[in-house]
Amino acid sequence: MISISIRLYAGLRDLVGARYLAMELPDGATIEQLRTRLGEEHPAVVGLLPTLVCAVDEEYVVPEHVLRDGDHVALIPPVSGGR
Amino acid sequence: MFAITHDPLDPAPLVEAVRRDESGAVALFYGVVRNENMGRNVQYLEYDAYPEMAIKKMKEVADEVRAKFPVTGIGVLHRIGRLEIGETSLLVAVSSGHRSEAFEACHYAVDRIKQIVPVWKKEVWEDGEAWIEGHVPEVPGAGEVP
Repeated sequence: MISISIRLYAGLRDLVGARYLAMELPDGATIEQLRTRLGEEHPAVVGLLPTLVCAVDEEYVVPEHVLRDGDHVALIPPVSGGR
Repeated sequence: MFAITHDPLDPAPLVEAVRRDESGAVALFYGVVRNENMGRNVQYLEYDAYPEMAIKKMKEVADEVRAKFPVTGIGVLHRIGRLEIGETSLLVAVSSGHRSEAFEACHYAVDRIKQIVPVWKKEVWEDGEAWIEGHVPEVPGAGEVP
């Protein structure tokens, strides 16, 4: 198993009610698996998952990105926008 | 100069930080809190950010700007926390030899900041609130065949 620490922002933080989460995932788990698990553990966030982008080490990563033990993952909803 | 801060933004040090002796123009953009959006009265805004990554992405935007335009300096300050109507949330300053490049580069920088810098805003109305869903940041390598 690997231990991942997760940071939450904006609407996601409000829905989960926490800035930080810890998650245990199987060795070789990907960002996509982390997202799926998040939806299982916190059904309120399922509606936000399709537009959610993740960052590891302060860089955006693809859903297939393989996580390592101790990784810090930030869950990034669509950013502020405006026109 | 690149920063995320809870404090009110002061443009003077930013302008001085981006100005060089070879600069003939400094374009300065203020993003300010507006009292309405989509027909609703906004009471105030609440900004959230991932500060370490936001600063990294601001610097990436600056690198893009320096690659595309002949600028002599660029700086970005973003305020977070609760901001009242009329307060400044974003300052972007770009200096260049001449005004045309300074305006263009500043415009480009603001657009890119809104696309990739992890900052979020919540609108608070009289009768509710909502986080504003803007741009989904592009992920390097996404959609490419491995």
